[in-house]
Parts: sequence; structure tokens; C-alpha cells
Amino acid sequence: MTTLALDATPGPARRTLAAFAGNKLALTGALVLLALLAFCFLGPLIHPTDQIHTDLSQTNLAPGAGHPLGTTDLGYDMLGRLMHGGRTSLEVGLAAGVLATLFGTVYGAVAGYFGGWADAAMMRVTDAALAIPALFLLVVVATIVTPSKPVLILVIASVAWLSPARLVRGEALALRGRDYLHAMRLMGGGGGRAVFRHILPNAVGTVMVNATFQIADAILYVAYLSFLGLSLPPPAADWGSMLSAGITYTQVGHWWLIFPPGLAIVLVVAAFHCIGDGLRDAFDVRLENLGRS
Amino acid sequence: MTHPLLRIEDLRVEIAGRDRTVHALDGVSLDLAPGDSLGIVGESGCGKTMTALSVLRLLPPGGRITGGRILFDGTDLAAAPEPVLRGIRGNTLGMVFQDPLTCLNPTLTIGAQVAEPLLLHGSLSKAEARSRAEEMLRLVGLPRPAERMAHYPHQLSGGMRQRVAIAMALICEPRLLIADEPTTALDASTRHQILELIDDLRERLGMALILVTHDLGVIARRVDRVAVMYGGRIAERAPVRRLFTTPRHRYTQALLAALPERATAGRPPAGIPGLPPSLLTRPTGCRFAPRCGFAGDRCRTTEPDLAGGEHSFACFHPVDPAVTRTDPAAAATDPAAGLRAPAAPPERSDEPLLRLSGVAKTYPLRAGPFARRRSGEGRAGEISAVAGISLTVRRGETFGIVGESGSGKSTLGRLIVGLEAPTEGTIRFAGRDISTLTRRELRAHRRNVQLMFQDSYAAMDPRMRVGAVLREPLVIQGIGNKAEQRRRIAELLDDVGLPRGAVDRYPHEFSGGQRQRLGLARALALAPALVVADEPLSALDVSVQAQILRLMRELQREKGIGYLFISHDLAVVRHLADTVGVMYLGKLVETGPARSVLTRPLHPYTQGLLATVSPPDPDAAAPGTPLSGEAPSAAAPPSGCRFRTRCPHAVALCADSEPPVAEPFVAGHRVACHLV
Amino acid sequence: MIPFLVKRLAQAAVVLLLVSVIVFALLHLLPGGPARAILGVQATPEALAHFNHQQGYDRSLPEQYVGYLGRLFTGDLGESYKLNQSVLSLLGERLPRTALLAGLSLALAAALAVPLGILQAVRRGRAADHVLTGVAFLAYATPVFFLGLVLILVFSQELRLLPAEAPQADSVGGILADAPALVLPVVTTALGIIAAFSRYMRSAVLDNLGEEYVRTARAKGQSGARIMARHVLRNALIPLATLLGLYLPTLFSGTLVVESMFNYPGMGLLFWNAAQASDFPVLLGVTLVVGVATVLGSLITDIAYAVLDPRIRSVP
Repeated sequence: MTTLALDATPGPARRTLAAFAGNKLALTGALVLLALLAFCFLGPLIHPTDQIHTDLSQTNLAPGAGHPLGTTDLGYDMLGRLMHGGRTSLEVGLAAGVLATLFGTVYGAVAGYFGGWADAAMMRVTDAALAIPALFLLVVVATIVTPSKPVLILVIASVAWLSPARLVRGEALALRGRDYLHAMRLMGGGGGRAVFRHILPNAVGTVMVNATFQIADAILYVAYLSFLGLSLPPPAADWGSMLSAGITYTQVGHWWLIFPPGLAIVLVVAAFHCIGDGLRDAFDVRLENLGRS
Repeated sequence: MTHPLLRIEDLRVEIAGRDRTVHALDGVSLDLAPGDSLGIVGESGCGKTMTALSVLRLLPPGGRITGGRILFDGTDLAAAPEPVLRGIRGNTLGMVFQDPLTCLNPTLTIGAQVAEPLLLHGSLSKAEARSRAEEMLRLVGLPRPAERMAHYPHQLSGGMRQRVAIAMALICEPRLLIADEPTTALDASTRHQILELIDDLRERLGMALILVTHDLGVIARRVDRVAVMYGGRIAERAPVRRLFTTPRHRYTQALLAALPERATAGRPPAGIPGLPPSLLTRPTGCRFAPRCGFAGDRCRTTEPDLAGGEHSFACFHPVDPAVTRTDPAAAATDPAAGLRAPAAPPERSDEPLLRLSGVAKTYPLRAGPFARRRSGEGRAGEISAVAGISLTVRRGETFGIVGESGSGKSTLGRLIVGLEAPTEGTIRFAGRDISTLTRRELRAHRRNVQLMFQDSYAAMDPRMRVGAVLREPLVIQGIGNKAEQRRRIAELLDDVGLPRGAVDRYPHEFSGGQRQRLGLARALALAPALVVADEPLSALDVSVQAQILRLMRELQREKGIGYLFISHDLAVVRHLADTVGVMYLGKLVETGPARSVLTRPLHPYTQGLLATVSPPDPDAAAPGTPLSGEAPSAAAPPSGCRFRTRCPHAVALCADSEPPVAEPFVAGHRVACHLV
Repeated sequence: MIPFLVKRLAQAAVVLLLVSVIVFALLHLLPGGPARAILGVQATPEALAHFNHQQGYDRSLPEQYVGYLGRLFTGDLGESYKLNQSVLSLLGERLPRTALLAGLSLALAAALAVPLGILQAVRRGRAADHVLTGVAFLAYATPVFFLGLVLILVFSQELRLLPAEAPQADSVGGILADAPALVLPVVTTALGIIAAFSRYMRSAVLDNLGEEYVRTARAKGQSGARIMARHVLRNALIPLATLLGLYLPTLFSGTLVVESMFNYPGMGLLFWNAAQASDFPVLLGVTLVVGVATVLGSLITDIAYAVLDPRIRSVP
């Protein structure tokens, strides 16, 4: 820096946003996600269909007039079902991902900030829970409870919170040793100020990046559970249950029952990954610029 | 001059970044005869390291040579194809880098790494190469080389690793060794040993040497000729003695004037205002003109050429040799500096502000700042970081703590400011034992003692603007309303010489020197009676060091602050401190009035430490016996006198009992040694 | 090294204990408790009460847990009431098959991911890097069952190159003998892991290429290829050991899906069938064994890491 110009420097949030907007991959991800959201939530306005009542006179129709993506084995319009099922997948995925991130962040921050025995005990619990592969745990829990949207959200969040917890704990441990926290203590500041003024704002980047990956994972979990036969009871649907319903017809070549929901899952999960990756780069760019002048 | 070994002609290097290009070198020319030695000096960012790296074409990503020639033994390295270069690197041209911690491969044995160049360039068998490597390790003074061959870098100390790096560079007996800041990361006594080693090997192998350093003391007695770089060009080139006695370029003169070693009581070291050019654009005119007190119109429009024979310089208003011969630093860049009246000693009373008695701090070995990653559970014992220190700091006084890394001086600082609690002993501030304070009292006490960090940047939340950073102490302590706080912040910025507009900026937008000013401003926000400054200058260039040093003195005079100044740099401490304490392995071995301790040291450690300092003066008399060896681990300190394992005079008694503190000659000058 | 081992073993022991607590807790979360789980839905309340008393399920939870732990140590995981076989003997049959599938997939993943990651790092920012990055993102995002379905459609139904059903042989040797049938299950399990590992390798190689020891090696006259082989790879590969351990849960989740898709008679299929039939002793037995396998697996990879990395192996 050679001169101190008069206008203030943009803050970290704006710098991050600018870096994100400059990242093509991330921008593509965000656009794809917006398009999918519009498709699922606004689509039925343009293409209204009955997703409650089966129509056994119209089963397994190939794509054609009136049914752009054909019909299912129960006579639902496939395009409309894709919108209908997408709402479930996205709603449950988003809710579970956010819930898991919130709980995991608090858990991790507490463990990391207090350290010592509390930390060791709390982390062994997450180790043990992580040791049992998520799908196994989900399947056992799902056989015990009867699936409904809130239950699904809770069940998925109950396994998904582990990774943000670990991550935030590591971040809190690292931030706790930073000199600016020592400086703050020397001014007489206490734990509250440390956590809310310094640790959390500086961990926000990590948490946000992880949240996007959590949501992606949660959407996948919804699909896996449905595939394993543990989905919301019909006429409700989600992309995973649609896909597993279509598997029966692989042999006879009813591709429209398989590819639309499958690709929809791939698309939405990839979109979240692109956004997360872009956010990570954006936060990194910010950090890279710091310290260099 | 004889046929040169290395000849650099009009070298130009650019480094392309994400969205900008730095013109790192802009027409550098150098000559080096076989067996000759050249020092390259200058502030950071002036192109010293780039010059060294471009000779081997090891430029960082994005860097490329855009013009000029590098003739090494008749081959133009700037244009040579990669295979030709590979045949030269490590073979006839060796290089030693700055940081011995990162320049060795952590997962290869030392033996394999040292033997590597031989296998690449020689026709030796593996076994022969290994035995040569072992021989080389012995030559660079690595104890028990045969055993060390199978060790990994992390098992060696920094100094030992640098010896290994030197062995690696020299194993093919190159004709030229390039050493880029080879001692910057090392302690004073190790630095001295490494420089002696390079000297010795150069003589033995008859090779030429290029020594790149920011430290004028390092080159003063170790090279034949010096090139001073500024802004990607050579400002001045001269035989070493001529450069130190009769510098001609105004930049060289200013650099010398900034040295604390050359300062006297009446003339503090003079900083160079401003910063080196960023080199994003090619400056017009003399690159030093914006910081030069003598610059005229011509300097700003025309670029001076390097002119002259053996002593050449690129300056339109060179220093008159007749003036500088008497006192080379007298007429510095800032013409007012020499004229300033001798500083009145700051007012101070005999009232003790801070009193430590028997303060000790031990860490369990498996936790705390010394713990290795994954060191595991072990009852191996404790680290004795600070072991029974008693001292008194009076109001308005500057108490300097000197010691090498690992001496416990930073831990002592942390204990005094209350970041950690001592395991033993008491710390009294203005008569009150800090450990007896209640929470509320402790919070209020925080106003009295503040810490100035070594890296002020790390000590500021990167997400806060400077205004918020400076306001934080006032908010925490509940001082003033918003408007008053704003006024106070403006006042603080004025005090440390920063524009008031800085409040809207983020810490990362400031240079190293400006950040230290910010750090000082924040330390002063609560108007403390004592500021503990932990190596506040060590990350700065000399030119900036001098500015901060001066600022600290001025503020002390104005506000009557006391400093506890922690530093490894004896020259800086000599300049600033009224009282000095010398620490070794957690003990205060000697303490007393600065003048007395630093001119007539009583403890063998202090004597050794002073002897390792290389004064920036080619004619300085060779000092006494410098320290040899390395400090033992604080996990297993020697019995009795902790220094005895490195002490040239140690006797049986030293191992048996701890030396008592005596005050043999000068009042207040105490020493803990059996032999005084 | 020794203190590290001791600490790591102690940690693993604690985690194993906690895994057993989680499974024990699941057992008690079951509607009707363990009695219902074992006796089935048709059992009368009297039968349940009798069973609870006989098995000690009317005692306090801590007492019961100690009993449960005791049975675990004798290898008593209960009886499958659908298959009329002890859970332990079922697992004895199935575990080696799943281990085979997981091992082959992991080997394939490592064998492909390492060169791919290096290629991406060396060609950073060029077409190959961008293409492989895109593919990795898609591979990440593809649910294992969708991938399996696509592979079956393409390679089995359309091209008729590979069978859609996994080998049905009982022995490991028999399974290996039916190699073509093994291709699709192994590839399906491995793809996501290949994506993850190659991303890791790419960034690890890039990080190491930026290290100063690489510059030192260049200053010695080493060529780019030999710097990669002799210096960079060694440093980039060592942490891969830990990554293997971290991916074990993902791997086992993958085998669960793949086994049920390809009808591969391993633990995953056993588990899936048990889930359909609410065969709780089997469900919980498999969950416990998979958890234990993960803990032990990551213990082994951590020890391997410590052995491979001289900075941990030989602390001065």
C-alpha cells in the first residue's frame, strides 16, 4: 500500500462475494440451482398435473404429447412428478443440511473453545458415531421410525451434523491460539467477546462452505433412503423413490422412468458442490490477499 | 579484472501475477572473478533474491528473464536449454537458501539428500557417494556424521540443518556458491558459526561466493565487494571497505545511517521515510528519489546510470567523500536528523513499577507451546521455560531483555502481561501481587500493562477495520462514548504518525512498518504505564526499524511510558534500553545498567553473545571468543549453572551448584556466575 | 512413535466402546424393545415379559449393557429369526465377501486416482485438468445406485459385455474366478472414491510442488520427472494412508448399495434383506461389525501413516 485513498475499502463479505461472482464454476452452480428451484416450485404453475390420484389407464406411457416425459407405472405425469418429487428432495435436503450445520457448529465451537477433557470426550462421541457408516445408521433408524418429512429431516440431520462439528472444532482450536485473541484478552475481554466477535465471524467462511456440502449430502441421503425402500408413503414422492420405482422397468427399456430423476439428483448435488467450491476459493482469495500488500 | 567467472549483463526479470506484473529486475549488471566474493544488500523487495535465483533460473512461478545475459564460465545461463542448466545446478554452481526448516525434504534421509547431487553429476557408485556425503557432513561440522546420515531433517536443529544444506550445495565442489540470506532464520551464535563455516570452506575449496543479505553486519567482514540494490537495480557497487567508509549513493548512506550500531546517544538511527517502489510500473527517474532528501528535478525525470570504475554508483547528487570520511552517517537522508539536539533522557523516577521475584514457569512436556504434534502421552517431564527470575522495572524506564531463541524471554513477556500465570514466584505491579486480583480488578489492571506483538498483523482480527481494532480496547474497558472514542482514535493515529483516514482500512492494507505503528497505537490506547514489546522490530527492514525505534522513544518521552523491550538484537537494545537483562535457558544470568552490561559484560555468556555480533564495519576488531555449540533443551537443563555446557571457563563447581547472584563492581550490575 | 501408538490405541478402545453403546442404544430404541425385536411382532405380552425376565431385560440399563458387552466378547450377537442362523455365523460367511469387494474397489480407486491426480497437477489449468475436474464433480454427485443403474444399462443391457449380477459363488476364490461379473460392482463402488482421491492427489502434489525443498532439488540439478518421483510423490502419498481410513465409512455405505443392486451375497445384502424383513438382530449385528471394522481400519491406516512418515516414526 502506498497511498491511503479517501474511500473505504470494501469489507470481507463484499470481497468474498466479488471473488465468488468472478468464479465461473460457482456462478454456473448457482444458476443451475436457481433453475432447479424454479422448476420444482414454480414449474407446476405452468405444467399443472395431478400427483395425488393414480390413473391406471395411462401407465408407462412413453414421452409424447400431453406427457413430455411420459407417465409412471401408476399413471402419474413424469414431468409433473419430477417437480413434485424435487420439492421433497430439496426441502428435506436443505432443512436437514442447515439443521446439521447449525447443531454441528455449536457442538464443534463448544468443544474447540473449551478444549481439554470436554473436547476429548465430545470428539470421541463424534468418532464413534462417524465410525458407523451413515447409511447403515440411517437404515436402522428408518426401520424403527415411520418416515414423514420432519422425521426424515431429523434423522438425516442426526447423522449429518458430525462433519461440521469436527470441522468447526478444528477451526475454533486454531483461532483460539491466534494472537488477536491474546490481544483481546489483554485488553480485558472475555469468552463471550472471543466467541462472538472474533471466532465465529472468522469461522463463518468454513461453516458456509461446509454447509453447501452438507446440503448436497443430505439430498443424497434422502435419495439413498428412498432407494433402500425407506421413503415417504405414496402418493408423496422424491427423486430417489422415483428412481428406485423405475428400476423395475430397466429390463423393458422405460428410460424415462430412470434418467430424469437420476440426472436431477446429479445436477442438484453437483450444483451445490460447485457453489461450495467457489465459496471456498472466494474465501481463500480473501485470505490470500490479506498479509500481502 | 581477470576473466570473470560470472558476468551478468543488463538482466531483466518480470514476475507475472494473477492480474499484474512486477518488474523485479530492471537492468542489473555484475561481475565476479573466480574465487572472489560479492555481497548483495538492500531492503526487502529490492531484487536481491531475484538476482540470486535468476542465476540458477529458479525463479518463482510466473517469473521469467525478459532480457540480458548471465554468463557463467562462458555459458549464457539466461538462454541455456534446461538440460545444460541441470548439468550446472548443484555441480559447478551451488546454492544455499534462507530457511533450513523448509528447504530440506522432510521424508528423505540427510544422507540421501546430501549424496543426491553426486549421483546426478558424478560417476560415483552409491556407496562411494555415501562415503563422500559423510565426509562432507564432517567438513561442515555436523557432529557424528555417520550416525546423522540416516536421520531425517526434523531430528536436527535449525543450525545443523543449515549445515546440511551447505554440505548439499558444496558436495560437488562448485566454482560458485550463492547463499541467499543463509543466516537470517538463525540465532546470533549459530549465525556466526555458519558464516565462519562458509568463510572457511570458501578458502578451502577456492570457490567464489555471492552472499545475499539484508544485514550489513553480515557482509562487512566477509566479502570483498558489495553491490547495493534498490528497486530492481544496482544503486552502488564498491569494494567493501570503500562502501562502508565512503558511500556515494544517497541510498547507501541512508541505509548506513539507519543502523542502530552506528547510532550514538546524540544521534539516533535515522529511518528512511516511505517504502521501496512496488515495481508494478517502471519508475521514471531515480528510483530512490521519492524517499531521498537530496533529490532534485533531474532525479525525478532522468534515471541515473551506474557510472565509475571499481566504485560505481548511480546518483546525481552523490555524497561528498570529504564529508563522509569523518562520519559516514552524519548527513543522512533526513537532513534534520543530525542537527537534532541530544535527546534529554526521559523522565523517570525510582519508584518500582513492576517487580518480579523468583518467577518460574514450567510446562508439562506433552502439552503447551513446546509440545510436538502428536507427541503422545508421556511422563518424560517438564520444560523449564523460565526458572526463577527476579527483576525490577521502574516507572518510565526501558528494560531490555536479551537472549537467543529458547531462552524464555518471550515466555517472561507473556507472564508479565498476564497471558499466562507463573508456576512459582510473584509478579507485583505498583506494589500489588497480580495473582491476588479479583476478576474485576484484573480487568482494570489490564489498562496498566499492554503488549506490543512481534507480528502486529497477526494480532489484529483480519475482519476488522483499523477503527474497530483501535476502538476495541476502549469498548472493553468502557472508556468514553462513541464521539470520545473516535477522538481518542484520531489522537492515537496522530501519535504514531498515520493518517486519520486509516480507520476505514483493513490491517492487510498496511506495510510492515505501518502495522507495527498500528500495534503501538493499540497498545497505547489504554494509556498503560508499561508496554511489553516482544521483538517488535525483528520482522522489519533496518530503514523501518529505525523509524519505529525513534517513534517508541519519542512516545516514551512524551508520555512517560515504561518499556520492557524483548529482543535478540543487541544493537537495538543498546540503543533503547536503560537497563538490560540477559537471559539464558530461562535464567537471568546478568542484569544492570545497559552501558555497563553491554560494554563490560561479566558473564561468559554475555561476553560470548557480544562476540558473535558482526558489527557493520569492515575494520572492526575481531571480537573475543564467540559462543560455540548450541543451547541444550529446556526439557533437560544442565545442573548447577545452566550455561556450563558451553562455557569456556567451566569448572567442577559449576555443575554442582547454582551460581549465586553477585554485584561485584558497578552498583546495580548483577551477575550469576561462580567465576566472577 | 511408542507414545503415539499408545495414545492412538487408547483412543480406538474408547471409540469401540462408544460404538457398542450406540448399537446398544439402538437396540433399546426399537419399538417394544429387544424382546419384540427377537421374538417378532406376533409375540404375546406374556411371552415378551417372560423373555425380558429370562434375558435380564427387566434389569437396569447399565446392568444390561454390561451383560450385552459380556455377550459381545463371547461372540454372541444373537440369532436371526428369519434365517434361523446365528448372526455370528452369518457374518462369518458374509464378511470376507464384503471385504473382498471393498478391498478391490479401494485398490482400483488408489491405482487410478494417484496417476489422475498427478496428471491434473502437472497440467494445472489446462484442458485435461478442467475435463477431469468436471468429471470428478459429476462422479461425486452421482448416487451410487444411479451410477450402477447406468452402468448396467450400458454395459449389460445395450452392449452385453458384462453380466448385471455379481458372482454368486460362496468362496472368495470362486468369486474371483468369475471376474467379469465382478467388474461392474467394483467399478460402481470405486468411482466416487476415485473422484475424491484424485482431488486430494491433485492438491497434495500442487502443494508439494510449491514447497521449498522442491526448489532445493532443482538447485541440485534434478529433472522435473525425477523430482516428482523421488521427492514430491513420497510426501504426497503418505497422507493418503489417513485418507483411506477416513473413507472407510463411505466405502462401506457404497458396498451396502452395490451389494443390494448387484445381488452380491455380502454383508450389505444381508443387511438390506434384514431391513426389509425387520430382522433386528441381524441389522444391529451388521451395524456393530461394520462400525468395529471402520474403527480398526482407520487405526491401521493411522499406524501405517505413522510408520511411513519419519516425522512421527522418529521423534527426536
